[in-house]
Amino acid sequence: MILETLRIALRSMTSNKLRTFLSMLGIIIGVAAVIAIVSIGTGARGEVTSQIANLGSNTININPGIQRGEGGRISRPYTDIFTLELGENILNYSPAVKALVPVGQGSALLISGSTNIRATVVGTGPDYQAINDYYPELGRFLQHEDLQQNSNVVILGSEVADDLFGSGDPLGRKVRLSYGNRTHIFTVFGVMEEKSMGLGGNFNAQVYIPITTYMQKVANTRYVDSYTAQAGSSEEAKIAVGQIEYFLTKSLDGSDKFRLTSQDQIIEVIDQVTNTLNIMLGGIAGISLLVGGIGIMNIMLVSVTERTREIGIRKALGAKRRHIMRQFLIEALSLGGIGGVIGIFFGRLGAVGIARFGGWAPVVSVVSVLLALGFALLVGLFFGIYPAYKASRLDPVKALSYE
Amino acid sequence: MIEVKDMHKTYFMGKIKVPALRGVTFGVQDGEFLAIMGPSGSGKSTLMHLMGCLDYPTEGEYWIDGREISSISDDRLAEIRNQKIGFVFQQFNLLSRTTILQNVEVPLIYRGVNLRRRRQLAKEALEKVGLGHRLTHKPNEISGGQKQRVAIARALVNNPAIILADEPTGNLDSKTGQEILEIFTDLNSQGHTIVLVTHEKEIAEYARRVIELRDGRILKDEVVV
Repeated sequence: MILETLRIALRSMTSNKLRTFLSMLGIIIGVAAVIAIVSIGTGARGEVTSQIANLGSNTININPGIQRGEGGRISRPYTDIFTLELGENILNYSPAVKALVPVGQGSALLISGSTNIRATVVGTGPDYQAINDYYPELGRFLQHEDLQQNSNVVILGSEVADDLFGSGDPLGRKVRLSYGNRTHIFTVFGVMEEKSMGLGGNFNAQVYIPITTYMQKVANTRYVDSYTAQAGSSEEAKIAVGQIEYFLTKSLDGSDKFRLTSQDQIIEVIDQVTNTLNIMLGGIAGISLLVGGIGIMNIMLVSVTERTREIGIRKALGAKRRHIMRQFLIEALSLGGIGGVIGIFFGRLGAVGIARFGGWAPVVSVVSVLLALGFALLVGLFFGIYPAYKASRLDPVKALSYE
Repeated sequence: MIEVKDMHKTYFMGKIKVPALRGVTFGVQDGEFLAIMGPSGSGKSTLMHLMGCLDYPTEGEYWIDGREISSISDDRLAEIRNQKIGFVFQQFNLLSRTTILQNVEVPLIYRGVNLRRRRQLAKEALEKVGLGHRLTHKPNEISGGQKQRVAIARALVNNPAIILADEPTGNLDSKTGQEILEIFTDLNSQGHTIVLVTHEKEIAEYARRVIELRDGRILKDEVVV
């Protein structure tokens, strides 16, 4: 009986293919949007999460606050607050902070033989490795002795090493580092592993020298640019943020002189952005499904009118209200279902395309496919009810004499 | 087995009452071949709709196979149409997108007969009207006379109490019309009860009893010798 009805439904749908397709278009777009959204959402989130993890785990960046411009002064970050001692004190007075490294950075020209390249010089300490989850591939990283002795030790990022020495062995080689109007000779003690580019910028295009050397010999300053702190876990990171905030507010006499950025905050911001995007795309999907439903209802009403006589004949031959109702409901469901399947196909296509563009693996989950198909069927059912009801209530005498 | 008792049917066109039947009483016995005659507007179409259980009378009673129908539900009425009544229309009223065999199967579908039995019964009915060889054709691929044979097969397939034929030859040439009427005569001689609604005297002559309607009342009810 059901099978028979399904056959009747399919026959009536294939008898006017263009019209059927057009009336399914809304559903197709809606379902494709659902599939694409879920896929993009999952893919993009995964990508962003892995980038954040790339920053090292549970890190907190401490940057100088922005100074208000008053009188003739231009607004810019405070540059005369963050000292090495302040960094040590943060570490000592914030129990939840497991490690902390100062970072000072500037742009310098690196020269080896006849090759020269511009690179970011990062002055920092040994803990930089663990905090950023970033280790040397050749030689070693900076050590405490290097900092104590203000040594001219340099560790190269992988790209810098490639650019300066190609396939040759860089260990032990001398590099001239030109900063401002002075040039220093550094010895290469290590080359870092390759680190994929993430939110933290391109680690591979940096070189690393002792922070003390950076401050005293290169940049000629008593201040560092920022600190990177690390907590033991994400719960502790929240506590650490509070502790650092408390300590710095007290010791700097105000909270406007520093800014804290934790991974949680970054994730929160990204979540907000993703959510906004999802709501927007979800809205588009919802509206298309609604429009699709109205399309189905429209075509079903037309179909009921066109087939008034057929309904009359069927009633005369003994069809009950529920038989007629079932026939038109199954037809509406088929419209929704077939539209859904076509939509899934296009949604997948879109998801794969965007994933290629965004550089992540396309994820089309079974759940999202079932969800979308379920929605399509539901829309078909819901918007098919009224036309089917209308058909089932037709008066057989009037229906039979309908021209 | 069919009993029409003081049946009235009034249509309402807005506020205006249009009486179509004004008290009609008669009975039909098993195995009769009855013609209902009258000019257009005499109420014969209305009577045929009521006898076919397609509509409820405004007043009066209609008994079919021991059941009075004026107070039963829409769905029960559909059941009675399905099992007790076989329709043959002037316009053939076949489903154009389905094959002849499937057309004849429709009443069996609504009766809940399974596919295999359905096929078999439909084939038998088509063989009875001489169309056992054209099962897979669509209605637009056969002649008018053949269409009406399919309709007769469809009317027969549930073995109904009566076959109601409304101007069955109205859309056919006279030779084909005669063939169709002969089928009815044959069916009647096999025991089927047949009610033929027509406005043509020559056609009514095939029947063995003629009821003549005029202005919603019975003018004559006589047995043809």
